[in-house]
Amino acid sequence: MKLLKVENVSMIFGGLTAVKEFNLELNQGEIVALIGPNGAGKTTAFNVITGVYTPTIGHVSYKEKNITGQRPDQITKQGIARTFQNIRLFKDLSVLDNVLIANHLHLKSNFLEATFKLPRYRREEKQILEKSLNLLEKVGLKDAQGEKASSLPYGKQRRLEIARALATNPTILLLDEPAAGMNPKETDDLTEFIRQIRDDFKLSIFMIEHHMQVVMGISDRIIVFDYGVTIAEGNPYEIQNNQKVIEAYLGVAEDYA
Amino acid sequence: MKQKKTLLTLIAILILFVFVFIADQTLDSYKMRILNLCAIYVILGLSMNLINGFTGLFSLGHAGFMAVGAYTTAILTMPDIVKTQNFFMTPMMKPLDTLHVPFFLALLAGGILAGVVGYLIGAPALRLRGDYLAIATLGFAEIIRVVFTNTQSITNGALGLKGIPVSTNIWWTFGLALVTVLIIGSLINSSYGRAFKAIREDEIAAESMGINLFKHKVIAFTIGAFFAGIGGGLLGSLLGTIDPLMFRFFLTFNVLLIIILGGMGSITGTIISAIIITIGGEALRFLDESMTIGSLVIPGISGMRMVVFSALLMIVVIFFNHGIMGTKEFTWDGLFAKFAKKPLAKGGNKQ
Repeated sequence: MKLLKVENVSMIFGGLTAVKEFNLELNQGEIVALIGPNGAGKTTAFNVITGVYTPTIGHVSYKEKNITGQRPDQITKQGIARTFQNIRLFKDLSVLDNVLIANHLHLKSNFLEATFKLPRYRREEKQILEKSLNLLEKVGLKDAQGEKASSLPYGKQRRLEIARALATNPTILLLDEPAAGMNPKETDDLTEFIRQIRDDFKLSIFMIEHHMQVVMGISDRIIVFDYGVTIAEGNPYEIQNNQKVIEAYLGVAEDYA
Repeated sequence: MKQKKTLLTLIAILILFVFVFIADQTLDSYKMRILNLCAIYVILGLSMNLINGFTGLFSLGHAGFMAVGAYTTAILTMPDIVKTQNFFMTPMMKPLDTLHVPFFLALLAGGILAGVVGYLIGAPALRLRGDYLAIATLGFAEIIRVVFTNTQSITNGALGLKGIPVSTNIWWTFGLALVTVLIIGSLINSSYGRAFKAIREDEIAAESMGINLFKHKVIAFTIGAFFAGIGGGLLGSLLGTIDPLMFRFFLTFNVLLIIILGGMGSITGTIISAIIITIGGEALRFLDESMTIGSLVIPGISGMRMVVFSALLMIVVIFFNHGIMGTKEFTWDGLFAKFAKKPLAKGGNKQ
């Protein structure tokens, strides 16, 4: 079964076509990368899948159910979580609170039960706390649980953002440039980390990334965007040798002739 | 340790009530009124802080919710004879003119009705953000006031209501202020409170984490309006007389001043600053009267003390933009940590 299916999606803002006829099929356990020069419409494609934008044309379906036009929170609730290109943590809240908040969507107690600390809420709160601490331990942030999210070093903030997304119990994780601004050592760790969470949490991952080292290292398939158009799709080897991709990234050589 | 803290909290509450008891026995009516106002402003401040400070919604509709609470409580507690005296221009509407319920139920009804109005206003207005929300809520509060000015047979219009039974006493105000602190405190520290703070920190991220923005904003707004209604009801029955002019924007501004000075997003800060502003407002009354400094006689300008408050607000906003407490709260652990440090310092000096 295709987990996520994007069919013929176009996103048009006024006179600008940010994404044109985008298609994607994501299978269980796959890691697919979306690459392309700056301004190619990669984040727009993400925003269409996560419900920030409703596509002008086309549909998005998840587990064969049409999710086009649903709100971001509804989409997250069904199992698609994301991170952001420019980290969007709850900066003034603690590391633990950041993860706890991501558990709120599955809370069954209403606000009165929560205010008066009725048994069902207390039981749920206990589970949430246990689960969050486990998660922080898995991503290596347990010691920092009491710290303000904004006080963490950059690499750890990225990890916390992924942990927070994992706390929503996703089956699909969308990562928007997870390696941006990382040094080579951090990049290596991240590659390993992404593989590990894919296996531990049985995820399918769709990511935007510029670091070719990361992309080529872990992707099963790669999609290349240029000016909103898909110019190539294939495994890392095919993409590395695709003439159109090389042209999009490096320009055409005719000027030197 | 947890039991010890609960015990300390209980002791603190007990001390508060001993204080209330002593105050009730010894203080004159003027001082008692100030204490009552302190507690009422704690309730109002907390209700506004839930909306503005914790959930980050810039709402300026508080006076409207207070008006709903105050009028409901007043109408439900006034004796029939007083009602006929008040409504000499237009007789009061049918079931209302003979309707009355005990004070507590009237307050609760005021709160619930304010909550309902909050919900009805919130449902359309909370789709707006930032400044637009502020303008819309401010407008709604004015609409409520104008409606109350014109519904002669229910609210007695611009004449207002006089002779409201003064049922508010220090036990009611302090008791309900305590209940408000406990309920809002408990809500804020629950999963819902964390969701509110997430919305304040970053709406886009909160929504991506599966938080239904609209639902949570409406919850916070409605609960805030409910407590504003309770506060308004207490205020009306403390003063004994209300009229629509009382619920102008100025009243919202007063509460806003309290939460900004205390810290947007701090319960402790709101309590401290509600007390400071209420007592300060009375203590600065001399500024409104004429003053003689040496041979210089300054004629009294009424409203002079509000200038002081406005200046204070400006100073706070410019230099201490997190207010007294920021988003920090008083905790027993924090207090212990302070005490734990002190003996160390003393030990060093003993040598």
